[in-house]
Amino acid sequence: MTITRPIQIITTSFSFFIALFLSGCENDDPAREDTPELITQVTLTFTPPGSSPITVTATDPDGEGIQDLIVDGPINLAKNTTYTLTLELINGLANPADPAYNITEEVEEESDEHLFFFAWTNNTFSDPAGDGNIDNRSDAVNYNDTDANGLPVGLSTTWTTTDVSASGTFRVILKHQPNLKSATSTATMGESDVDLTFTLNVN
Amino acid sequence: MLFTIGGVAAQPCTIQFSGLVVSDTGEPLTGATLKLNEKTFTVADQEGKFHFKNLCRGEFTLTIQFVGYHTKTVTLSLTQNLQQTYTLYPDITQLQEVIVADQLQGIEHAYNFAALTEKQLAATAGKTLGEAVKELAGVNTIQAGPGIFKPVIHGVHSQRILILNYGIRQEGQQWGAEHAPEIDPMMASNIVVIKDASAIKYGTDALGGVIIVNPAPLPESPGLGGSVNAILQSNGRSGTISGVLEGGINNHKGWGWRTQGTLKRAGDFHTPDYNLTNTGIQEMNFSGAVGYHNEGNCFEIYFSRFQSEIGILKGTAISNLEDLLSAFERVPPLYTSEFSYSIGEPRQTVSHNLLKINSELPVSSGTWKLQYGFQNNNRREYDIRIGGLSQVPAIHLQLNTHTLETEFETKASAKQTYSVGVTGMYQDNKNIPGTQRIPFIPNFVNLSGGAFGISKFSIGKFSVDAGIRYDYRYYQVSGYDFKNTLYQSQLSFSNLSATLGASRQLQGNQKISTSLSSAWRPPHVAELYSLGTHQSAAAIEYGLLLNDSTNEVMNIEDVTYHNEQALKWVTSYTRAWANLQLDLSAYANYIFNYIYQKPTGVTQNVRGVYPYFRYTQTDALFAGADVAASWNVNTHWSLHPKATLLWAADVKQHDYLVFIPPNRYELTLRYDRATQKKVKNFFAESRLKVVDQQHRVPRTITVREFFEAIDNNTDPLQGSTANFDFMDAPHAYALMNVATGVTLKNEKVQYDIRLVTENLLNTTYREYTNRFRYYANDLGSNFLLSLKCTF
Repeated sequence: MTITRPIQIITTSFSFFIALFLSGCENDDPAREDTPELITQVTLTFTPPGSSPITVTATDPDGEGIQDLIVDGPINLAKNTTYTLTLELINGLANPADPAYNITEEVEEESDEHLFFFAWTNNTFSDPAGDGNIDNRSDAVNYNDTDANGLPVGLSTTWTTTDVSASGTFRVILKHQPNLKSATSTATMGESDVDLTFTLNVN
Repeated sequence: MLFTIGGVAAQPCTIQFSGLVVSDTGEPLTGATLKLNEKTFTVADQEGKFHFKNLCRGEFTLTIQFVGYHTKTVTLSLTQNLQQTYTLYPDITQLQEVIVADQLQGIEHAYNFAALTEKQLAATAGKTLGEAVKELAGVNTIQAGPGIFKPVIHGVHSQRILILNYGIRQEGQQWGAEHAPEIDPMMASNIVVIKDASAIKYGTDALGGVIIVNPAPLPESPGLGGSVNAILQSNGRSGTISGVLEGGINNHKGWGWRTQGTLKRAGDFHTPDYNLTNTGIQEMNFSGAVGYHNEGNCFEIYFSRFQSEIGILKGTAISNLEDLLSAFERVPPLYTSEFSYSIGEPRQTVSHNLLKINSELPVSSGTWKLQYGFQNNNRREYDIRIGGLSQVPAIHLQLNTHTLETEFETKASAKQTYSVGVTGMYQDNKNIPGTQRIPFIPNFVNLSGGAFGISKFSIGKFSVDAGIRYDYRYYQVSGYDFKNTLYQSQLSFSNLSATLGASRQLQGNQKISTSLSSAWRPPHVAELYSLGTHQSAAAIEYGLLLNDSTNEVMNIEDVTYHNEQALKWVTSYTRAWANLQLDLSAYANYIFNYIYQKPTGVTQNVRGVYPYFRYTQTDALFAGADVAASWNVNTHWSLHPKATLLWAADVKQHDYLVFIPPNRYELTLRYDRATQKKVKNFFAESRLKVVDQQHRVPRTITVREFFEAIDNNTDPLQGSTANFDFMDAPHAYALMNVATGVTLKNEKVQYDIRLVTENLLNTTYREYTNRFRYYANDLGSNFLLSLKCTF
């Protein structure tokens, strides 16, 4: 074999790749992503039978940005009253028509992996008594909903306030516990999707 | 074009040529380089023995070189197997160039380097590239669990070192601390680590040094050869099989080819006490090359593919600071379960394809080299996510890189060479749509160009190297900010690099060399625009160009930004006595405008509390010393001490930096015996590794202290933006490794059997530079069996 053959190969190859190189030189903007995991707003609605509900909201103005969360409150509940608490999770960066907007639905769909934990100042509620299941999973919380495995979820819960005035804090944690959720899985297991603390007054 | 592959039957090229290289006093010259016809080479082993196989009949010129000795050139006519002993005589006046310059590619202008030879590399078979180079003094790793190792040279890593994969700058997503180089070390025949910043030929970024991964030269004459290496390891219950097949092409002199492939599968690794659940690895690598070499002409095409899937310890899947606290305090980590090979979230899958075409043409006054490389890097990172998104990558990036380089080298005289070159790079980074998350880094196009000139000459008894280089980089960036709105920017950077080095051979086999180099690097897009949380970090990262108070993306003109620039000085001294070889080097690397992540504050969102880090600039100093020695106590016993010492600090703010490798010491006691006939090269060695506690660390603010401060409404960072770490540095530890091996050989086949026990005493320890030290202990004992068959 003479030397000309390899040189021909070199020349052809290089011109081919330079052509390829130039053809690759166009730039597209990245596509705008939906952000269905991003929760920017959590609303707690305490509904007493027959009267208007009490709502408090925690709002994150900038997702992963630097600004702090704005937490409403306090939660002002009446003495000796039974409330149904429902939770709503919203991605405020998405369009309300977008399925990514309502994260409550996603939690419902994956209820076998999600569990809400609650903690409150002792003696603010008569039922459940105690201070909640964040420190001890076996402590009482009145869950109204269950997942496919019969385990509680916590999007809806029932609360009866004490008959004396009291004040303190009310904390909600949503844990994502894929393959971890059980009758005994605790608030320190899994990843936190929500962790919020509100001021609570019972008058 | 059709080739018939050179078969054994057609034209047998099976002649073996072996022997011994000794000094005038009869000492074996370990490491002497032997070259046949300036093409095929080998290195004399511990006993001075060398071996060429699969040679064809014919005339050969044999050149034998060894530092401090006269080079010997002999002509041979081979018709049958041949055994010879060659004696070299000391030459103390000769201006010796770098010892193995001909054997190891890419070190022509380097003054401080270390190399893993084929034999040393074989002893790391089954390990990653990072673990392999860690064997060298001055090299450490930053680790993310048992499968991800990033090499660290003299304290710096990632964007500050350059990896040359068969001559091509490796371009992956190297900005991430858990992004290991996408290279299969099994394809290499040697790996060189240049520890000065002299490698300006290869472009910007080599502030700390360069790692050069070289495959063996392609065969040039007909014949078929190859090897198969199988490795079993108990920790992780892993199996690795790697094979090489190579040959020449019948009736086409100068043509050669090689294919190589590696398969690896590992399950969960374990510490002395528990499994590290979800740390499995799957790897599938392949490479192929065809080339032509004749009378200085060279043309090669090379393709390689690296593909891996790596599980990330499940217990590191955390969201906010509270989760981090639980993860830190839980023993064993959450999710710990029975051994399994399955890999779940969090995990990463990475593939890297490389195509290289290069040629060398001799022209009247020198050699002209041309090289094109195309790299395609795909990275997907999967996290535990809500909304059924766990199967959707949270990060999905595709990086395509084209490089075109040309160099002209000319020899003005035997002692003077010049080399000039031009390099160009076009790179396109794309976020593949569908991650359903704001991209962590934006899309960008990177256009870079550079030109350099290097000269090597002599002044008196000094051999001198001087070089200068200019580089330009242009970025076109488009991404989404925290509000998910589009931003676009155009940036450009340019600067000069220069290097000056000198070495001198002294009497008594001593050599001293010193070099001073300045290198710079343009910022990586990730350092400018990063936004969000990272796998297993529980911290938010903000790039340099995000506004301090609003987080809006700013123009680079509106921030104080200066290019990172290093001034590195290295001095090394080597001396060889009859039975003792000593290598000492000391260095200081001052990096101006060093970019790092500075803890800046604490922010809160719906998920909880997060500390956040901002990319910031300061001045940093890295200084240290590498020591390696080899003492042949007698013909069988030898002792090999090694030390890697490093001191690093943020000099502008009088603070220490995190993740700086602590001092490391090693002592190997080795017994070698070349027994008769078929059993060759028996060895047994015992190695003690001692890693000191890192005492030069920034302050510790534990996660508990964070919460106490938040509860008390005080600043968790205590009003200071000094660096901090969530945990104290782990204690010093010592590990004992033992290894033994034997080589069996017959006419056609050689078997290398190796048995290794790592962490023999099943010591519980944590490594400061392992990012998973917060969550779990490091690995317990590992038994390794390697069987290599070369034909």
